[in-house]
Amino acid sequence: MRRIEALVLLSTLSASVLASASPRPRGVGPEFAKFYKSPDSFTCISQPSIKLSASQVNDDYCDCPDGSDEPGTAACTFLSPLSPPQPLGGQNATPALPGFYCKNKGHIPGYIQQTLVNDGVCDYQVCCDGSDEWSGVGGIKCEDRCKEIGKEWRRIDEIRQKSAMNALKRKEELLKKAADLRVGVQNSIVNLEGEIKIADARAQELKQVYEETERRERGKVVSSKGKGSKVTILAGLAKQRVEELRDALVRAISKRDALKEKVKELEGILATFKEEYNPNFNDEGVKRTVKAWEDYAANRKATEDESTEERDVEEVAKPDTETEGINWAEWETEGEESDVEALYKFEAYLPAPVRNWIQAKRVLIREILIENGILANNGNSATESKAVTNARSAYQNVENDVAVKQTSLNDLKTDLDKDYGPNDIFRALKGTCISKDSGEYEYELCWMDSTSQKSKKGAGNTGMGNFVRFDTMDVDEEVGVDGKGLGQGKRMVMMYENGQHCWNGPNRQTTVVLGCAEHDEIWKIVEQEKCMYRMDVGTPAVCEKETRAKQGSGEGKAKEKDEL
Amino acid sequence: MRSYLALSSQWTALFVLLSALCCLFTPAVTVKHENFKTCDQSGFCKRNRAYADTAAGASGWSAPYQIAPESLSWDNGQLQGTILKTINKNGETVRLPITISFLESGSARVTVDEEKRQKGEIDLRHNSIARKERYNEVESWAIVGGLELSKTATESRDTTKTTITYGPEGKFEAVITFAPFGVEFKRDAATQIKFNDRGLLNMEHWRPKIDKAEPEKKEGEEAPAADEESTWWDESFGGATDSKPRGPESVALDITFPGYEHVFGIPEHAGPMSLKETRGGSGNYEDPYRLYNSDVFEYITDSPMTLYGNIPFMQAHRKDSTVGVFWLNAAETWIDIVKQKEAHNPLSLGIGSKTDTKTHWISESGLLDVFVFLGPTPKDVTKAYGELTGYTQLPQSFSIAYHQCRWNYNTDEDVKDVDRKMSKHQIPYDVIWLDIEYTDDKQYFTWDPLQFPDPIGMLNHLDKSERKLVAIIDPHIKNKDGYPIVEDLKKKDLAVHNKDGNIYEGWCWPGSSHWVDCFNPAAIKWWVGLFKYDAFKGSLSNLFVWNDMNEPSVFNGPETTMPKDNLHYENWEHRDVHNLNGMTFHNATYQALLERKKGEIRRPFVLTRAFYSGSQRLGAMWTGDNQASWEHLAIGFPMILNNGIAGYPFAGADVGGFFGNPEKDLLTRWYQAGAFYPFFRGHAHIDTRRREPYLAGEPYTEIMTRALRLRYALLPAWYTAFHEASVDGTPIIRPQYFVYPGDEDGFAIDDQFFVGGTGLLAKPVVTEGAESVDIYLADDEIYYDYFDYEKYSGRGLKTIPAPLEKIPLLMQGGHIIPRKDRPRRSSGLMKWDPYTLVIVLGNDGTATGELYVDDGETFDYQSGAYIHRTFEYKDGVLASTNIGTKGKLTDKYLKAMKSVTVERVVVVGAPKGWEGKKTVKVGSGEANLEFHGEEGNKAAWAVVKKPQISIGEDWKIEF
Repeated sequence: MRRIEALVLLSTLSASVLASASPRPRGVGPEFAKFYKSPDSFTCISQPSIKLSASQVNDDYCDCPDGSDEPGTAACTFLSPLSPPQPLGGQNATPALPGFYCKNKGHIPGYIQQTLVNDGVCDYQVCCDGSDEWSGVGGIKCEDRCKEIGKEWRRIDEIRQKSAMNALKRKEELLKKAADLRVGVQNSIVNLEGEIKIADARAQELKQVYEETERRERGKVVSSKGKGSKVTILAGLAKQRVEELRDALVRAISKRDALKEKVKELEGILATFKEEYNPNFNDEGVKRTVKAWEDYAANRKATEDESTEERDVEEVAKPDTETEGINWAEWETEGEESDVEALYKFEAYLPAPVRNWIQAKRVLIREILIENGILANNGNSATESKAVTNARSAYQNVENDVAVKQTSLNDLKTDLDKDYGPNDIFRALKGTCISKDSGEYEYELCWMDSTSQKSKKGAGNTGMGNFVRFDTMDVDEEVGVDGKGLGQGKRMVMMYENGQHCWNGPNRQTTVVLGCAEHDEIWKIVEQEKCMYRMDVGTPAVCEKETRAKQGSGEGKAKEKDEL
Repeated sequence: MRSYLALSSQWTALFVLLSALCCLFTPAVTVKHENFKTCDQSGFCKRNRAYADTAAGASGWSAPYQIAPESLSWDNGQLQGTILKTINKNGETVRLPITISFLESGSARVTVDEEKRQKGEIDLRHNSIARKERYNEVESWAIVGGLELSKTATESRDTTKTTITYGPEGKFEAVITFAPFGVEFKRDAATQIKFNDRGLLNMEHWRPKIDKAEPEKKEGEEAPAADEESTWWDESFGGATDSKPRGPESVALDITFPGYEHVFGIPEHAGPMSLKETRGGSGNYEDPYRLYNSDVFEYITDSPMTLYGNIPFMQAHRKDSTVGVFWLNAAETWIDIVKQKEAHNPLSLGIGSKTDTKTHWISESGLLDVFVFLGPTPKDVTKAYGELTGYTQLPQSFSIAYHQCRWNYNTDEDVKDVDRKMSKHQIPYDVIWLDIEYTDDKQYFTWDPLQFPDPIGMLNHLDKSERKLVAIIDPHIKNKDGYPIVEDLKKKDLAVHNKDGNIYEGWCWPGSSHWVDCFNPAAIKWWVGLFKYDAFKGSLSNLFVWNDMNEPSVFNGPETTMPKDNLHYENWEHRDVHNLNGMTFHNATYQALLERKKGEIRRPFVLTRAFYSGSQRLGAMWTGDNQASWEHLAIGFPMILNNGIAGYPFAGADVGGFFGNPEKDLLTRWYQAGAFYPFFRGHAHIDTRRREPYLAGEPYTEIMTRALRLRYALLPAWYTAFHEASVDGTPIIRPQYFVYPGDEDGFAIDDQFFVGGTGLLAKPVVTEGAESVDIYLADDEIYYDYFDYEKYSGRGLKTIPAPLEKIPLLMQGGHIIPRKDRPRRSSGLMKWDPYTLVIVLGNDGTATGELYVDDGETFDYQSGAYIHRTFEYKDGVLASTNIGTKGKLTDKYLKAMKSVTVERVVVVGAPKGWEGKKTVKVGSGEANLEFHGEEGNKAAWAVVKKPQISIGEDWKIEF
């Protein structure tokens, strides 16, 4: 019955069939025609040892282990590593043919998956001539739509081509802009380096002036101070220091108390939360929070006893009087004979080598202490003279200026070294943003900067990540008739990470996958998992001459092979 | 080749990693026990357990129930009379009318009511407006037939007892003892089932609450201590108080199965198929099996805790005998099980000893209403049960293929994207699902306008490849101004009421909600209207429905459900009907999907989470919110098998595990297991990573695709098994005892099973890192590995290799398996593809098989539009014979199916003599034969190529 139908179909197509030089069996592409030439026999393509009669080709029964005897039916589709293995064949089979060849007269020929042949669905996307449903199962009739589909395709393809050309033009512009920007940066670096050199020299001069002035002034200070007791000076300093520390402590305590209040409030909120949350809302985040709170609460109880510590702190915080703390008056009026002096004298009793060693160590320690800001340098304890101040500020101003310039320079150098993608191209896009309205949200992508979403239901902007690096990714996506879409193969990716933290999960992050397009445009956004977004974005910045050309030419074979 | 050592260390590492990951993603995953009652916290359960302890403890315990012999009357297969319950020392009694019916089918039914309540001669507390009777309408929901009384049963009475002879050829006998009341059911003169053997019958009669000063003024035999009485009246749990306006009213009965060691059934519990003892002791449970439909969050395995659905039907099995009881009660129910060994000769312990299984059934309210089935085969029992409660719906054929679900596919574009990717990866699937997020603000019958702007476009897109969409619709209706459906619900007063008779308000997904009361016929009618295509905008004929949360789940209710003193249609208390509630909602949706457009009548497909006896008529069920762990993968089969035994075989578990992220090997094994679930759906929680099969990468995606394609290739066999279940209740996947009722070694096996009557014996891997499994063979028949024809034979355990890519699946000799080998995008697109018949020759060189085919979506099969054939291979001839009954649409259907052929016949275990044979005779013509000899331990096989025979016609192939 099927064969009769096939004949009918053949006769209707006779014109085209007869016109071609060698009639090929149904579903065979021109590049495989050579295997099907013999009028009375057929040899399985990849297993030439298996010889069949010509009538076994396309008889809807699979004879060849590579499926080559059934180019026009679905009979060999079970020969696939995706099907359950069976002694009949399967798992290890490599199909010899790329699929069912649709001639698509009036459009571009293409290969369709053999599993789609005679399944009752007209797969016009690949087979515009409807030839995939030749047996008409269940009464299906797929009319030839190649004329209209082809026409529409060509119309769009023209636009696409134009757009592709424009895209490449745009890319050139971007590259030029990027190069210009780069030169600008380089120039700035050169300029800055010059300025820094000059300023550095100036700073050196001023530094010398300042140090000279200071040395002079310090001599004065020391001489005017006379023979004051070191202990009383120390006492004065210590008192001052202690008071400073005490003030700091008091401030810290009051700050701490305020924080304690806040912690208490938060603990209250969490305790209520734990009591009142509903476990049936199946909210992992809530569960995690409750668990974390329980652990926290348990730990907190263990380390609660702070009362004695608290009392100590209170004591310390009280001002010193004659009876409490340190009686400073006693120290401030101390005579010449101080303990420190005694200590110095003590040295006299020691043998000379030991004494020298101690002295050396003492000096060393003192230096270390001063350098590390633990001991005050006596010299600075008095008020500074105006001359020194002026000299220092003059020096410091220039020094600061150098530092600022150095920072800018470093920034610029970093920027120059930063990865802006191939040929620096995204330098040209930096600072520009594109956005897309998608369902509940408006999404925004700022090149080299950040991604965000804005809910239409009111809530504010949510950061979906900040640019961290370039990457690549294998994609397998549709390309719309308008040419929008990632297509198949390796695509450049911009990773945006560490966005706003998600209530139920990680920090938001966005994987921005780039495809070639005439204009910068967000094609689609999907939240693949909670707070992990993927943005498919078109931009001329990633256009390549070859890829465009390939996609544009519509070479069916290459394209369809990918799909199989 | 990796060494075993290296492997094991690798697995250890993996395990450590896995457990670390588990800690990360699912912290403290365990059920909240404190949210659900133990027997001790459930007043009536506690009282009846205490009653049982008293009865067991007291010497000379005499049950206070006796039949008044003068009350008895026998008429036409029915015995009626009165049981007198003595309630105090003064000998005061309460009258309990009893009816014992003997049915034409051979089943018997014992029904006991309480006269006072029946007549409404009681007072309700708290000015309750609830009904006074014991709930007597479970029957109207659960039972659809089989109640014809026996015309052949006969009674013979004496002073102490009456004996009824009934059943097929009069082989059954019921001996009813008057004092104390008891019944013994016998088959072939041997006792199979005993009622009230332990004297635990208890029907808590109505009593007024006496607020007494002096505590000793109590009633006779029940003589409650003060603390016992504390559970009679208002009862509190978890901050909610049950007003119990009718006071204590439980019913309980002990049912003993003498000589029966195994009992099965009473789903739904996450435990072994062969039920455990429940009164403590090593390896036993401490609590009874509980039946109280509940949304149990993160349920645990190996537990008698209640789950989402229930079927109070139990089978008891011993060598060559199966019997059953069906406890027709919809209130909260607990079942205690103890097993007692009775060694006849104390010196020969174990040998010749037999075990009695003693059960104790306890329900909070309602009638005592029990059916008894005397077998003797498991098939007899399931058939008899199905005659009463109905058989499994013959499902839409797409619904037994693969379902791709997730909470949630976020947008219509997302749905189409998944659809395209499945096609692109050549992974077959039939249905994609939408969980609650598709709605506009959790209002059912609406679509989120931003995320699903074009549902019709989405449905049309799916329809191109014959794919379907299932959308969730739950019984809670968002209480929100301006939502027309809730406004209508309130206006028409079709929602469940609270104890005061006002519309009940609780919390669920949408926040504040009301619950449609599907006990109310008007509510069903209203519900049906909501599904018409012109009412439910954005729906088309390829949209089907998922009913979740119908226990009902109420987030702020006691035990996550409704207060028991809520009131349903005609003021029945929720207490009385709780276990039925889910089924009534499922039923309403089923009714709604029958005819969404005038004249377009289709088989509905509705998945439910809550269920009761009878739900099998309405669609599929799944085992609820399981977890991505090996334990949960393993518990799936015992649960599904038990559901099947209990008459509800269209069952499955969420593939991949609902909560948590499965490792790739777990996910892969789960697909291999899921390919053998009657209901096969992948599903995942909203917080999990995406896990559609194409995402896993190789080799996992390829292995999962193979499992899926195996399911699709075997769909003709599965559909035939579904058909069988739909006509006689035989489970779709069948446990060992069901197929080999005489093989004691197989009775407790619940991790391997047969697929329908195909002889396919599967034992999917459910443990981590397995490289092989031990499969049990119950007979001396020959078995072949499904994939390479490796031979296995001889009783006992056989080790078969099971690396990750392999599913342990054997074909038992003697069967013929129908398949369709051509992979397509969906089952709908396989409709016209030719069949492959696999003839698996048995030891005796013969094989038989069956095939049922119809259009898979309409009810035309009821008018004969189907193909039903047996295939038989014997003496070198394979013949196809029609076993269908001709109807008015038969010819038309056969004509349409004429082009569907058998493309090849594979003969496994082909005789050696065929070597050199090149052709076989097909009718008057011939076809080529190709023979492949034995290779090692792999069987010889032959294939008949292109015999040019139609599947719907008679034909013969002569070898």
